Amino acid sequence: MLFYNVNFFIKLAVAFLIMLAAWLAPDWRYGVPLSALMLVFLAVTNVPGLRGYLKGAVLLVTLVIASWMLNLTLQGHAVFDSFQIALGMAARLVTTTAAFYFVMETSSPGSILAAASAARMPPVVTLVLSLTFGIIPMLREDFERIADAQRARGMEIDNVPFPVRLKFSLARGLPLLVQAIRMAHAISISLSIYGFDMKHKRTTWRNVGLMVEPMLPIKDRNP
Amino acid sequence: MLSIRNLDIGFGSGDLAVSKASLHIAAGQRLAVCGAAGSGKTTLLHAAAGIIPRLVRPPVISGEIELDGKPITTIAKDDLFTAISLVSQNVEDQVWDLSVEDLIAFPLENRAVAKADIRARIESLLVELELEPLRGRRVLTLSGGERRMVAIAAALAASPRLLVLDEPTTGLDPAARQRLVRILHKLGSDQLAILISEQDPAAIADVVDDIALLQSGALTPAVPKAALMDKPQPWIEAGILPPHRGRQPRKTYAEGATLLSIAGLKTQLARRDGRPVLESIDLEIKAGETVGLIGRNGAGKTTLFQSVLGLAKVTAGTLSIEGQDASKWTPARRARSVAYLPQNMRRILFNMTVQQEVTFAITASPAIPKDPAVVDTALAALEKYGLSSFREANPFALSTRQQALLGLACADAAGSAVAILDEPLLARDGQGRRMLDLFLDSTLSAGRAVMIISHDLELIADAASRVLVLDRGAITFDGSVDDVWDSAGYGALNWPAPAFMGVGQGAGQGAGQGAGKTDHAVL
Repeated sequence: MLFYNVNFFIKLAVAFLIMLAAWLAPDWRYGVPLSALMLVFLAVTNVPGLRGYLKGAVLLVTLVIASWMLNLTLQGHAVFDSFQIALGMAARLVTTTAAFYFVMETSSPGSILAAASAARMPPVVTLVLSLTFGIIPMLREDFERIADAQRARGMEIDNVPFPVRLKFSLARGLPLLVQAIRMAHAISISLSIYGFDMKHKRTTWRNVGLMVEPMLPIKDRNP
Repeated sequence: MLSIRNLDIGFGSGDLAVSKASLHIAAGQRLAVCGAAGSGKTTLLHAAAGIIPRLVRPPVISGEIELDGKPITTIAKDDLFTAISLVSQNVEDQVWDLSVEDLIAFPLENRAVAKADIRARIESLLVELELEPLRGRRVLTLSGGERRMVAIAAALAASPRLLVLDEPTTGLDPAARQRLVRILHKLGSDQLAILISEQDPAAIADVVDDIALLQSGALTPAVPKAALMDKPQPWIEAGILPPHRGRQPRKTYAEGATLLSIAGLKTQLARRDGRPVLESIDLEIKAGETVGLIGRNGAGKTTLFQSVLGLAKVTAGTLSIEGQDASKWTPARRARSVAYLPQNMRRILFNMTVQQEVTFAITASPAIPKDPAVVDTALAALEKYGLSSFREANPFALSTRQQALLGLACADAAGSAVAILDEPLLARDGQGRRMLDLFLDSTLSAGRAVMIISHDLELIADAASRVLVLDRGAITFDGSVDDVWDSAGYGALNWPAPAFMGVGQGAGQGAGQGAGKTDHAVL
């Protein structure tokens, strides 16, 4: 997918501009179409894990609308006015999260490393960016894996009421934390043995411009 | 080149992990360190690779580690890790979500090598290590064997003088092992020294010059491999199964009712060409049976047990467990009858103490059991597998070996109708094999059944009463362990004959598809 290979910093800048537009939108009549447009964009570009994101977005919208309506109504606003304001806020959040979800899901740690190295950024910035954006999807996969482990050990986490499912989801926090610590330790060791040094700027094997080269072409066999 | 003298390493609890160990590796030398699980191999290799003490400082360390006559503590880190490269046993610890090219380039990019030079080096390593089809792939989506080869390519990228490989054949099917051996041969043609640890000496015998044995942290002097390979006693003393042992007699158990039955199974998960990973799978497992499942990396073995457990979606077929239609059962309900023990037990542990893991296996509830019988059963299982003293420990604090034993204790205590053991690494040393035999005897005597998924053909030959060959999504052989090695199904795998058969025997002879099997060297 062409969009996936856009330079990470360009994707980040565009996501920031979209977020700005969402928050500057005067009310729901602008905000809702913008958020709908973002969701269509996610679907058209076939972003991985879209179904999970949409589930989260529905939960987010429900909670925001419910809590804002309650708050505004208690403050004396009319119910319909409260709904419009809450809808505008939910739309802003959906647009923002959708924009950054796209950046996160379509930027591999390798492409971030390449973009940051090509921009001659300090190694610490390179490392933080690639770990932040690269490890979140890995931890999410681990979260699912732990759920499968619980199922495979006989823990009934599917055919139970929502509060119980939520409780079991929270119970995955501990093994996930252990896994995150292990992952951090392993990455720290591998960074050292692979010669990563905070004092030295890195280079990259990729050609980086508006786009980041996704793989080494075969033509390089006879350069 | 590398010299270790009188090395002691301890992690603060009990015995030293490595005790008075000495070894010397010259340029171009290829040395294997063989020992049972938990004998100290990884600790010794981490010391040889400089990780100990440069990156990890154990509470107890004494002795000398020198590279080219200089203590490694005085060598700049970058120089040290350029000269020596390590590939871990758990190769996942060294790869994160990078592409194949990213991982190979990583050591060079970090050292600010020019782009053109990095691209040329990636290209040459992709070709030399036969990794060209993997261009652009994410490392975490590769099979275990492919992942390991990419990690080796990354380790070689900065042209080290010593390559340290910690149990490199772990999880590799026989063909992938042959490929690894072939590539290590190629690498050994220059002055690259190689230090390998292994439990199974036969797997790497073709690549090494010398072997040293490690037992409870104590290392024997290295000797030429020819002096050791045909003598069983030194291996037995080191707690390892000897390399050229014959088949072990297998205890037989009365077959009973069908415990697990699959008919016409087809998975939703598909291969790149659109074909389902598994299609038209029929199999039955009866009480008292030990069924061995073999097949190439990526053949669909994992998907098969995931389908049985309900973790992979199926589009057709039926499943029955202990005579009941289980097709609509949730994974948790299936798991109460089918225990699954992965190679890496860390994947399925999530309770706070070892005892809770066992009581969870019995009750399927994280709550502390009130029934004293449950606690008694759990304690008896821990006692049986030598884990009584760890009952209050956190499962993540156990060694890999102890976690594997905990898996056996859980499955034993739960009394599941069928236990699926996925590549039990325990089986590669004497003590581990005894524990596995204890589990098999306990399970089969109780009228239950076991499925062992493994690339260790000797284990399959010793333990299984029946063997299934899974190839390209279908079961191509289902029959007696005595017949499998000459079958067309096994022949089509193009694997070498198991070591116990010797050169020129079996492995597809007389079976059309398997003709030519004996052209392969016996590992």
